[in-house]
Amino acid sequence: MKIRARLPRLVAGGATLTLALTLSACGGGDGGASADDGKIHVLVYGDAANKVEKKLVDTFNKTSDVKVVLDTIPGADYQKKLQTIISTPQAPDVFFNWGGGSIKPFVKADLLMPLDDFIKKNPDLEDKFLPSVFNNAVVDGKPYGIPMRGTQPVLLFHNKKVLDKAGVTPPKTWDELLDAVGKLKDEGVTPIALGGGDIWPTQMWFQYLFDRVAGPGLFEKAVGGDKSAWESADSKKALSMIRELVDAGAFGKNYDSVKYTNGGSVQLVSSGKAGFELMGSWYYSQQLTDHEAFAEKDLGYTAFPTVEGGKGDPANVAGNTNNYYSVMKKTKHPEAVAEFLELMYSDDFVKAQLDIGNLPTTTNTDEFIETTGNAEYSRFQYDMVADAPSFQLSWDQAYPQKASSDMHKAIQQFFNGQLDTDGFIKAMQALPTE
Amino acid sequence: MTTQITSARPAAGPRKGSRRRPPASSATTVGRPGFAWALPAAVFFTLFAIVPLIMVAVLSFMSWDGLSSPEFVGTDNWSRLMDDPVMLNSIWLTLLLTVLGVVLQTPLSILLGVWAAGHQRNRAVLSVIYFIPLLLSATAVSVLWRALLDPNFGIPAEAAWLFGDGNLFGEQATAIGVLAFVSTWQFTPFHTLIYQGAARAVPQVLYQAAEIDGAGRYRQFFHITLPQLRNAMITSMILMIVGGLTTFETVLILTQGGPGTDTTISAYYMYDKAFKSFDYGTGSAIALVLVVAATVISLIVVRVSGYDKMRSSMEGVS
Repeated sequence: MKIRARLPRLVAGGATLTLALTLSACGGGDGGASADDGKIHVLVYGDAANKVEKKLVDTFNKTSDVKVVLDTIPGADYQKKLQTIISTPQAPDVFFNWGGGSIKPFVKADLLMPLDDFIKKNPDLEDKFLPSVFNNAVVDGKPYGIPMRGTQPVLLFHNKKVLDKAGVTPPKTWDELLDAVGKLKDEGVTPIALGGGDIWPTQMWFQYLFDRVAGPGLFEKAVGGDKSAWESADSKKALSMIRELVDAGAFGKNYDSVKYTNGGSVQLVSSGKAGFELMGSWYYSQQLTDHEAFAEKDLGYTAFPTVEGGKGDPANVAGNTNNYYSVMKKTKHPEAVAEFLELMYSDDFVKAQLDIGNLPTTTNTDEFIETTGNAEYSRFQYDMVADAPSFQLSWDQAYPQKASSDMHKAIQQFFNGQLDTDGFIKAMQALPTE
Repeated sequence: MTTQITSARPAAGPRKGSRRRPPASSATTVGRPGFAWALPAAVFFTLFAIVPLIMVAVLSFMSWDGLSSPEFVGTDNWSRLMDDPVMLNSIWLTLLLTVLGVVLQTPLSILLGVWAAGHQRNRAVLSVIYFIPLLLSATAVSVLWRALLDPNFGIPAEAAWLFGDGNLFGEQATAIGVLAFVSTWQFTPFHTLIYQGAARAVPQVLYQAAEIDGAGRYRQFFHITLPQLRNAMITSMILMIVGGLTTFETVLILTQGGPGTDTTISAYYMYDKAFKSFDYGTGSAIALVLVVAATVISLIVVRVSGYDKMRSSMEGVS
């Protein structure tokens, strides 16, 4: 049994290696978007969702005179490579981003085209999307992005079998979660799997707890430049709750050596060595790919627990609101770009995204949900996002990109005890907000 | 053309005196290599090494995020760097990793190299297998070891008596240990190769003479092999030091400089500042520190070791 569990990992490791080698070889070839070759270059974050983007491009190219070329950059390097090419002639015409802080510096550098004119000509480019999502790519009152994938709320996933065995029901409140941690520990499993080596999974715990305890206002204040927010009583309370959870052994001892991105934490949950994992909604399709039988039978999910006396609405959600296409000012074919962007609310697009487990944020998504393979899961997410009074964008995406490295360090160091509360507050206050 | 050059080479022969002097007749057909011969190399070196270096030096006095145009900020980047505890720490970590690399790899590769120098068939086959890690890219090696050292499904899970809770990447000492180990695993084969070649070049007469004098294998190793490997040792150590100072991918993939900043070596810190925080000014300043430090250290090693006036170590043998 043990050997069986280990073998796929070795195979996966080998496959990853080959893949990394192939990808890096490709990267050199197709990244070259020249100044004007009568084509539109669209740059996208490279991952499993690319097949939908490819399909859309093919559809578009069938009828359009100006052809679209899809360029992809392997995930982890996307933002770095984008920023190094965006002010050069190699910059694409249209590119993938996370809205918010991820495009602010580009707007400031006057590289992006405001989409007012597109929307004036075709109001559907704004009206066909959920406003809370569309507004996340509005900078200084002007829209700069069209939602182009799915929304990704963060959910608390669990292994039903492990929870049953320990006599735990999925926790609705923070106290129930602490209680569950104790019971799971007694059973000898790691209560909560965490890919601390990646750091952004650790960050999710901060995002939700700060929102539950203080409401979205605290972080908005902080990211807006009011650094006193970090030393408020609410901030300290949220930090003490994180401390309490870590010290209770909720994440075991070796979470910083575990990664989500190499499948480590994913397998912890699927193999029954851990009970919970807090992760974005893409977790479901990841488990489906890695451990199909488990995902179909024993993978459960709930919203993040409520916190008694907290100021945040328990219906608030954290995660990635969506990804966006932004348009470069220098593009030579704005009309064709506008036509391409109109595909992002087409029925075909919605269906294709739903098929791969993404949840688009168009107004017509609702009609198609029931037709998908995992309708129940899509419905849960859709209602959660549609009903949420506030959707907290990932901290590292909301802050300017240059702050993310130092923010990650502070988060990891507070979590593993290298920084105390005051040290963490100071580190967060030192982050640039402009 | 080819024949002319060949004939211009000093004729190899046992006769003393004729060793360094080419035959007088060929000297008239082909002149000494002039400056023009060095031109292609000089042009490329200037274009791809000197010019970027100057640009980096200039950039270290500027503030630039890669988007807007760079602005001169005087010595701001430098004074901030001087007060930056992470920077100071990164220099120590770089030196520590370099020293660890030399200390771990040198004895291993000497032993392996001398062993592999034997002409037995099994040794030849095993040498080929030992050589494999060197053929993998540092990136591939790092990805591989990160997966192998996973605390729940990798080696630590099977050998808890050795690894405890397996939090290898979560604590400074073990994280540094992993980095040193992975570099050793990857680069020992290369240095083994250097020593293998050098050990094979040791004249057999020395061993035959020693045997007649009654010296055992250990004495032969310490009194003949090791002294004869001196130049190979210096070459290999300089390569280790330069490699240690410029280590980057292993840290990038294995630890990302973490936990916190516990394995943030200078080269990684430069990357962190320039390409993650988009502060190219500070990144350039760190790069310049690295260049200067590496140059100074290399000069010291060359001086101390006598690399610059390296002689044949086969004194007394002819």
